[in-house]
Order: sequence, then structure tokens, then C-alpha cells
Amino acid sequence: MARIEVRIEITGNVWKVLARPGERVSEDDALLILESMKMEIPVLAPEDGVVKEILVSEGELITEGSLAVVLES
Amino acid sequence: VPDDWYRRVPGEEETEMAFEELLAELARRREKALAMGGEQRLARRRAEGHMNARQRLDALLDPGSFHESGLLATSFRPEARDRTPADGKIAGFGRVDGRPVAVVSNDFTVLGATSSVVNGKKIRHIRQVAHESGMPVVLLGESAGARMPDRMGAAGRSILGQDPAEFLRDRRTPWVSALLGSCYGSSTWYACLSDFVVMRKGSTMAVASGRVTELAIKQEVDPEELGGWKLHTGTTGLVDVAVDTDEQALETVRKFLSYLPSHNGEPPPAAPVPEGSDDAIKDILNIVPESRAKTYDVRELLSRLLDRETLFELKPRFGKSLVTGLGRLNGGTIGVIASNPKFKGGAIDVDACNKATSFLVLCDSFNVPIVFLVDQPGFLIGIEGEKRGAPGRIMNWMNALSLVSVPRIAITLRKNYGQAYLNMGGGRNSEEAAAWPSADFGFMDPATGVNVLHGIRYEDDPERFKKLMAEIEQDSAPWGLAATYEAKTVIDPRETREYLKQILLVHSRRPANGVGQHRLCCWPTSY
Repeated sequence: MARIEVRIEITGNVWKVLARPGERVSEDDALLILESMKMEIPVLAPEDGVVKEILVSEGELITEGSLAVVLES
Repeated sequence: VPDDWYRRVPGEEETEMAFEELLAELARRREKALAMGGEQRLARRRAEGHMNARQRLDALLDPGSFHESGLLATSFRPEARDRTPADGKIAGFGRVDGRPVAVVSNDFTVLGATSSVVNGKKIRHIRQVAHESGMPVVLLGESAGARMPDRMGAAGRSILGQDPAEFLRDRRTPWVSALLGSCYGSSTWYACLSDFVVMRKGSTMAVASGRVTELAIKQEVDPEELGGWKLHTGTTGLVDVAVDTDEQALETVRKFLSYLPSHNGEPPPAAPVPEGSDDAIKDILNIVPESRAKTYDVRELLSRLLDRETLFELKPRFGKSLVTGLGRLNGGTIGVIASNPKFKGGAIDVDACNKATSFLVLCDSFNVPIVFLVDQPGFLIGIEGEKRGAPGRIMNWMNALSLVSVPRIAITLRKNYGQAYLNMGGGRNSEEAAAWPSADFGFMDPATGVNVLHGIRYEDDPERFKKLMAEIEQDSAPWGLAATYEAKTVIDPRETREYLKQILLVHSRRPANGVGQHRLCCWPTSY
């Protein structure tokens, strides 16, 4: 079991949280959708895993580098 | 003295016997060399599920095409001669899809395929012949680094660096590396000098082995963290593609080579166009959303635009907001640099800059025309990018783009903002520029433009905001660029494949037989 930290690569507002704790996700599945640069930008799973924690909520402004989701492989 | 004295061999009646012994000696020596590092070590590899160095050559090359150079070479140290078959690096020439290649396959069962004086001579010979006779070099890496004690002390130093061209890369012919196990020393260096690198998952590429690194930094080192596939395909970008098995790695090498010429003096080989290649583009309007706020995966567009199943993506896990890949269009090789809004909305980060530049170098070096598909909101601005020298990377890319001498075609699909417009072939940085009707050529997103130009936000005065935004949008539509002949044409997205077929034919550089000037041929391989 390895902890996979999904960090935000682009500053924006959390528009939708798609992932649910306990859910199994595959690499490149969208976990959140950010609004940034007038676009809806998905935050994707870097690899296959199970969602352990979601640390952001809809409407929240999050900055580049902040931890958003923790997966377990 | 008889007239034909020179024809006579003393003891002629014994000659047949003497040859028999010599031939038996040759057979014995060959057999010993072909036994590699011995049955025990070979059995261990089999148990691990990995091919040995000779099996790899069989899988890579056309059947029966391998001509070995240096089978009987061994270590120059008398005490090591008996245990160094082929001196640990199997070298020679063969064919891939009927075309000649030069190869070196590291035999890890022989002293860890460590680098020595004699096997260094073998590599040098292979490289030299490949350079002079115009054939790709394929390096199958798995090596432990420098051989000890050969490299220790003053005598060891004095045999190093005797070939001033050892690390010179002038891209006369393509170089490809496969990393198939523990790769330190020469396997690492050659991979970093190569045009394409494939890695089998579970392999490691690093400056020094985990053991040496642990001694140096006094802490335990995880080989995957030190130099595993995730690090090199996702973070360093030094490896293009990771695969699961040796067989897949060698198949990937063959596939990569199929797109390129054997040397830079000829155009890439043409291939038959798979049936149905013209049909897939028809549903393209369902792939790219008209709304610029929506994202999509540009690879779905590419798979419809190119000849069927010919997209060969390079560095798919690195700098993902740009896709770089080789493919075929109407049977000819092209290189594609495409924005991928699926990642970071297509905003171009430092990794994507490096990826684009290295791809320009590859295409320019081997006469591959370049197609830009543009849908990008600009360079990704932020502190992280600045810390990593984003402005330098952006100009590095522009510098390379200005030196490119193969045809460059730029098609704007939707967004095309800021300086990145130039990096993606805008203005005179491409031979031809086309746009879809959905193209937007502002300096920034129209909504941001209202903020910056007029100082108002949507919530301040929605009606006025919408009016000002419409004005800006009108100004940035493709019609203005078409009217001033900056966009040479505006095309229906479904016409894109046909447009590219025709325009690539127009720009086929007939007087030079499709061969460019290769002004990027000496660009550093990793920078």
C-alpha cells in the first residue's frame, strides 16, 4: 500500500468534486474539476488507486502545489 | 628451385589435419563465447522472466540477419580473459524490417556488462561504422558501470577519455536505447544521448547504483525512487516510454525506427495507408467541444486525423499539456506537437517546453515535417515555473524553432493566446498557418481581456461586461487573420486531414528530396 498525494498543478476554484472516499479510480480518471483560466480543468489520478481522503470542497480557492486528494495504491 | 615454389606449403600432407585443429579451436572458442556468463546465471534470468542479451538480439533483428563483431573479444587482463566472453557487450550489425542497423547488447551475465577497454573499442567501432554507412544505432542497456579494478589508479585513468567523440551526438543517424534491467554507467550515458528511450518497468537508470549511492549519502535507497520508470517517464523526461516486458521494449524499438530514415541524408520511408484511414475524421466535431471552457483529449483527435493506428506518442507521461508524437499521414511520416487541454487546460509548463524542444530537434534532424495543432491558453504562469527557469525554456524553444528547416504547418483549433502563439508556429514560425472557425487569437482569454483592458469584472456590471467581451471576441475570431493573410486558410475541422495531405505535398521540398539542413543536429540531448 503506497500513499499517493494528488497535488494541484494550477491555481483555481474547485468547481466539482467527483471522487468519493473509498472509490477505486484508474490513472487519468478525473477526481475534481477546477475552474481556472476560464476553463473547466480536470484534476486527474496520477495512477490507479483507491480514494482515501479528499481535502478540498466545492467553491474553495486552491493554489498550485496544495494537497487535494490522497489515494492509496 | 622449382618455378612454382611459392605454391608449395611445407608439409602439405599435414595441412588438412592442421586446419582441422584450427577449426576445432575456432569452434571451441565460439562455443565458449556463446555460452555467455554460464548456465547458472542464464538460468537465473530465465527464472526471473527476463531475456538474455542474445535472445534480445534475436527478438530485435530480422531472423538470421545478425552479423557479430567481436565474438572472440575478451578482457585485456590475462586473469579475466576466461570469464569475459565477448567482453560483456555483444556488438554487431543486423536488419530491422529489412534495413541495416548497428547494435550493442549488454550481457549482464558477464561481469555485469561493465565497461572495459576492449568492449569500449567494440562500441566505438559500431558507432563509427553506423555513422559512415548511415544506419541507426540500437543500444540494449543493462550494465553495472565501470569495470573494476580496470578503471582504478593512474593506469585506469589513462585509459579513460581516449575517444574525444565518445559523447558527441551529431544525429547523422538515429540512436535508440532500451533500458532492460539495472542501468548504470554506459547504458545510462548512451540512453541520455539517444533520440528515443524505452524502459522495461522494474529497470533502473541512474548515475550510480543503489549500493554506491547508499554509501555516498548514508541512507537507504529505493531503486524505483533512484531511477525507476515513473521517475524517468513522469519527472525527468529522460525516458520516452515504459513497457512491461523485454519483448514489448524491443517491439517498441522496431516501431520507433519504422518512422525514421536510416540516416539524415534521406527522407523517412513511406508506408502503405491502412484502409479506412480517411473515414475516422468525419465525427471530429463530436470530439472537440465548441465551448472553449470545455476540455478534451487531443489524442482522440489525432487518432482520427492520422493514418489509422499510426500515432506513436513520445513522452506521454511528461509535460502532458502537449502531445508530441510521430505518425503517418497518407503514408508519410509527420511529427505532431498538439496542445492537450485535458491536462492543465493545455497551458504549457516547463516540462512541456522541454518536450517540445527535444521533439523539434528529432524532427529537424531526420527530415520529418512538423504539424502543430494549437489549443492553448498560454504558458502556465506561476511561481513553480519561474523557479524552474520558464522564460529560458520558452526562448530555448523559440531558438530551436527558428533553426528548424523541415516544413512546419500550424493549425489553430480553438485558443491560441500570448507568446505561446509564436512557439506553436505562429507568424512566420511556420510555412503555413490554417485555422478552424472556432479559433480564437486573442492575447488572452476574452473574459480576462475585459478585466485587464477595462478594469471591470462580470459581477460589477454584467451587461457591459458581456458587450465588451463580445467586442474582444469579434476581434480575435479567425476572420481577421484570414483577411490579413496571416491565416492562409480557414477550414472546416472535417477537412483537416485532406488539408494536411495537400499542404504537405505542396511543401515536400522536392529539390532537396525532402532532406532538411539539420541545423539542430548538434543541439544538446538533455539540457
